[in-house]
Amino acid sequence: MSDTDPERTDGGTEVGSEVVAGGHEDDHDHGHDFPGTGSIKRWFVTTNHKDVGILYIVTSLFFLVLGGVLAWLMRIQLWAPRAPGETILAPVAYNQAVSAHGLLMVFWFLSPFAFGFANYIVPLQLGAKDLAFPRLNALSYWLYLFSGILFGVSFFQGGTFSGGWTMYAPLNVPTFTPDVGASTAVLALVLFVASVTVSSVNFLTTMHRMRAEGLTLRNMPLFSWTILLTVWMMLFAFAALLAALMVLSADRLLGTTYFAMESPAGALLWTHLFWFFGHPEVYIVFFPALGVMAEVFQTFTGRRIVGRKWFIIAMVLVAIQSFVVWMHHMFLTSINLQVKTLFMITTIGISLPFDLMVFALIYTMLKGKIRFTTPFLFVFGALLLFIIGGITGVFLGAVVLDYEFRGTYWVVAHFHYVMVGGVTALVGGLYYWFPKITGRMYDEFLGKVHFAAYFVGFNLLYFPLFVAWETPRRVFDYAPELAPWHQLATIGGFVLGLSFLIMFYNLFKSAFTGDPVSDNPWEYATTAEWAVSSPPPLENFEGTPTYRDGHLSFILDRESDVTGGATAADGSGGATAGGGVATSPHTAVTTEYEPTVEATEVEGPSHASIWPFVLSLGAFLILLGISPLQDAAFPEGMMGAAYATTAVAGFGVTLGSLIAMGLEPFHGPVFDEGEAWPFSGIDNGKVGMWIFLASDVVLFGGFLGAYIFTRFAFGWTGWQPVPDDPIPGLVNTYILLTSSFTVVLALVAAEKKHKLGLVTSLGATFVLGIGFLVNKALEWQHLFHEGLWLSTNVRTSTFFLTTGLHAAHVIAGLIIALYLTARAWRGAYLEDNRSVEYFGLYWHFVDIVWLFLFPLFYIL
Amino acid sequence: MVSTKFYTAIYVVLFVSATVQVLVEFAGLAYWTAFGIIMVLSAAKAVLVAAYFQHLRWEPRSLTYLVGIGLVAALALTVAASYSLL
Repeated sequence: MSDTDPERTDGGTEVGSEVVAGGHEDDHDHGHDFPGTGSIKRWFVTTNHKDVGILYIVTSLFFLVLGGVLAWLMRIQLWAPRAPGETILAPVAYNQAVSAHGLLMVFWFLSPFAFGFANYIVPLQLGAKDLAFPRLNALSYWLYLFSGILFGVSFFQGGTFSGGWTMYAPLNVPTFTPDVGASTAVLALVLFVASVTVSSVNFLTTMHRMRAEGLTLRNMPLFSWTILLTVWMMLFAFAALLAALMVLSADRLLGTTYFAMESPAGALLWTHLFWFFGHPEVYIVFFPALGVMAEVFQTFTGRRIVGRKWFIIAMVLVAIQSFVVWMHHMFLTSINLQVKTLFMITTIGISLPFDLMVFALIYTMLKGKIRFTTPFLFVFGALLLFIIGGITGVFLGAVVLDYEFRGTYWVVAHFHYVMVGGVTALVGGLYYWFPKITGRMYDEFLGKVHFAAYFVGFNLLYFPLFVAWETPRRVFDYAPELAPWHQLATIGGFVLGLSFLIMFYNLFKSAFTGDPVSDNPWEYATTAEWAVSSPPPLENFEGTPTYRDGHLSFILDRESDVTGGATAADGSGGATAGGGVATSPHTAVTTEYEPTVEATEVEGPSHASIWPFVLSLGAFLILLGISPLQDAAFPEGMMGAAYATTAVAGFGVTLGSLIAMGLEPFHGPVFDEGEAWPFSGIDNGKVGMWIFLASDVVLFGGFLGAYIFTRFAFGWTGWQPVPDDPIPGLVNTYILLTSSFTVVLALVAAEKKHKLGLVTSLGATFVLGIGFLVNKALEWQHLFHEGLWLSTNVRTSTFFLTTGLHAAHVIAGLIIALYLTARAWRGAYLEDNRSVEYFGLYWHFVDIVWLFLFPLFYIL
Repeated sequence: MVSTKFYTAIYVVLFVSATVQVLVEFAGLAYWTAFGIIMVLSAAKAVLVAAYFQHLRWEPRSLTYLVGIGLVAALALTVAASYSLL
């Protein structure tokens, strides 16, 4: 994965540019390539976290509009109950609208909207000048955008996916959803998950490694806390989703039969994989909103959150517990009663920490002095909505009640109160940080009008759905006596949707003509983003931020402490009344600042690269190209040829841009290690690699879990290994173990600065890897001639797909090995061998996976 | 770090235990006995590769825990899902 470690790949190259930690002398790439914000080019090349944040926010709002229009189409259809012949949308079009609305809102709007703020705000709150891997951050954005475009394309390929956002099996296989667009929608999700994984690795490395001195996790602002927990959940949950989606893609494109009706427990397998991801996803979506609530509550009550430590502990508990409640989505499947009971208990358990958080927020309001600004109104509204959403969810967590409520509008109403409740808080966040991002204030009156229309529209839309709960979910025909409630909901839907026009008008106009604001327009805002100008400078801080004295100050590069201003930004000693309000520092981390340094032209890190964009374009073309595959074959004729050409072109673009990215001189943000628990003393690149590998453990875990589960359902010992002879597998085990050994030798040679040894060892690794693939190809050919292939039965499906995924990892490793060998030949890695080391970590991991695949698929 | 000789020794152990796995299969033991032995050998090999080739032994323990969390998540999914079928 050295390609995903761009900051490190260029150490000790033939170019002769050494990356020295803190090396300001490397300036040949800085500045001159980075156009201003007014230039279109800027937005295609930028790797700056604030630019990327803005791109995320704007793009996600576009998907909000798209998902919202689909919702309107549904609400229009639901104005009256309709029999299939008399609908406005054709029945399948309605199903597509339902499915696409859910997928777009959950994946392409909600999380990316939150991650717009995360991108913009978190590095500022940490005291970092950018994320750890800026180009990977840009890559996350472009993968996200192109995944959304791919989803858009799916509408025009005979129709997009129509089996609901949960994509339950067996509706998700081509037997029931045959359109090419349905496959494309699944592939769009795969691309989206790639974006999320890159983003998770980047954020986790940044948040654990790049906090300012003195900013321990305990002192970290609450918004950053929620993002940290969100990305931890994302790392593992999305890896499980990736496994599910890759298996589904194989079923749709290659003809494997995991989810086919005749496979043992195929439908149940999907629900396990999907909900193992899906329940943490609820908190992945909601936690950033919770973080916004906490920040805005603190600012506009002028009060540090009550029980801050317990609030954090409660969030950590929820993040962990979120992985052990997934089967409460499966109470009406054939899982056994004992496990249902167990998951009912864990579900009730997860509501307890939330109670604590809700009471902490309420008590903060009671103890503080509230100022009813627009951001506060939105987060306060969000709290009320979330309480309703949470309580109605407890009903669904009880097995007996779920038998009644499952598949009804009770579920629909419940999760819209939770999810759109979260949106409400995030909209509050948009108003809250708008002045920071644009440097101008929005119109407060229009903001309040927006809130009023939004809140009325929201409840008019979703509350009647509780009353009309007997309406079957995803079905446009319902009992006629429920029609008035649905008509109310439709009216509410239009009020809610149109209320956003007020926001768009307000924010668009204010961005250009609003009143300019100072660093901190909000009295009592205490987090570090308010300690810098609005908008902040490109590299965020003059000097190095530190909290070592218990408050934020800046150390100049020349080692002179530049602050120490006595006026606390938190207004301690301020005049506001109210028991204990604002008379003591709000949080352990108060910001004290007096920017005394003049802006000087400091040479520093790079901010521009076009390759994340090109790489994402390549990935888009590959997936678009393979979308019409069925049973591993392109359609006949011109159309099939065009698709195949697209895929090949995409592969070329992807490979080319990966190499270009590896060779591009690019310097990540310079930082002095501050707080880095629990990864202090480990290089960013290595931490990033291990975090990625941890998610890859879950990806392979999902594949192996699917195999074990299916075999268990089939009858364990009645299932024979697909290859009748374990010897080819044993030979491959030998080859792979030997190649691991040669990678170790390569690193030893690099440490001894022994160029020939390094090149030879890397070359040997490459040759051994090729040998592994050739041996596997011969074995597969042999099996194919015996009439065993991917689509023969679920037994062969699991064999070919799981070992195929492993082979794909080997191929990716070989591409990197070839790249490293070529660079080593030209003298690289003798001074700085980290690329070789990180490649080794990946390669050994691939080896370890094989150590389990071999016995499970060849011997046992 | 350690010497090339040490890495070679690890490599030999890995090589031999892979062979033993296949020999166990051909030894005609009861299925679940063989299953147990073979999986334990696989786990042991994985630990050796992670500890020495990936030099986790000499890294801060946090990296080991990180991978451990992933492993626990994957096992929880597999075990609980399989149990739910009973």
